[in-house]
Amino acid sequence: MALTQVDQGLLGTNAQYTGFKNRIINGAMVINQRGSSSYTINTDPVYTLDRFSLGQGGNVNSFTVQQSTTVPTTGFKNSMLVTMGTGVTVAAGAYAYLRQAIEGYNVADFNLGSSTASPFTVSFYVRSNVTGTFGVSLRNGGSTATYCATYTINAASTWEYKTVTIPAITSGTWTTDNTSGLELYFDLGVGSTYSGTANQLNTGANYFGVTGTTKLAATTGATFYITGVQLEKGSTATSFDYRPYGTEFQLCQRYYQNLGNVGVSALNATGVVGFLFPTLMRATPTITFSYNGTSNAIYRFSDAAVSTLSSPTIIATSFGMQNMYAFSPASWASTPGYGYQAAFVLNAEL
Amino acid sequence: MYKLTHLLFGQTEPSSVIRTTDGACIPFDPDNTDYQAYLRWLEAGNTPEPAEENQ
Repeated sequence: MALTQVDQGLLGTNAQYTGFKNRIINGAMVINQRGSSSYTINTDPVYTLDRFSLGQGGNVNSFTVQQSTTVPTTGFKNSMLVTMGTGVTVAAGAYAYLRQAIEGYNVADFNLGSSTASPFTVSFYVRSNVTGTFGVSLRNGGSTATYCATYTINAASTWEYKTVTIPAITSGTWTTDNTSGLELYFDLGVGSTYSGTANQLNTGANYFGVTGTTKLAATTGATFYITGVQLEKGSTATSFDYRPYGTEFQLCQRYYQNLGNVGVSALNATGVVGFLFPTLMRATPTITFSYNGTSNAIYRFSDAAVSTLSSPTIIATSFGMQNMYAFSPASWASTPGYGYQAAFVLNAEL
Repeated sequence: MYKLTHLLFGQTEPSSVIRTTDGACIPFDPDNTDYQAYLRWLEAGNTPEPAEENQ
């Protein structure tokens, strides 16, 4: 077939058009390993749909998050729904934000903080019953430099596609390792203490909100749907990077794994030995385990008994659990040759 | 809020701490954000509970 048309967006010198152009993971809001149908934001932050967290503090304290099937007519299956309870006038030191932190390795080619830095573009679909100019921010992992920008929701309760291009950031410290390299924040209600000036790099304080923007938290019952979140190199927003479900799931597992029941076995007198993780994790994870919903409980195959281990010590690395030992009941974790089972949750989020 | 873990065989220092609110085992990995939160908790002047005695 003859080539008859080239999209102007494809001609940008910095843009990327191949797969994996999207540095946001789970931008289509499909993966929900934590499994809750509704997340109450009662700590700061609460991780919700994979890789996305919502934090709130001060007098902003009644947001909830759900995975929704309300989607724009562009091929998406899910969105994230953020709902405000009772609206408040956001105090100076209060805040509410939706966030995803991108691992430094995954934005290393942006060359942030150097003279060769590349611009990048954030795009997403949004729908809210509140209209106005809203804030979106890109912060470094050290919380010392933030580029603040805005986007406008024009019509209430209508899906709209938004793009925000961030010019090359040539100053500040931006890590390029397994720590947080670039953090995307949507301002849902950030007070003046944490708000920077739009369309510039703000330094010298911790900013993740944008001055003078509409605060969703001010409206009782405010709703905010979002999906198709993409952050890509270059100054042009391109079509959403639909990745295979299994691939997206594995990308999420680098930061969080909910393994369900896993069988483990006892080895001589050193306790219950471990297993390899399905995916190499970003860092050595925090580990919790349970059996049938009871924390620190483990099932023993030999007599179908369940016991709750006291103060279990777990030795792990980023690629696997090596050893688990508990003193009480003493016989459980030190009897060689026995098989055990428990559900493990591994957390190495940013 | 936190409790020290007992030493395992061959260890001279603990390698993790238990978060008592949910029983999570937090490794002493500087890149783990839960461990970073534990360090901030220590810096605030708090002290973890001692480890359980061997049985």
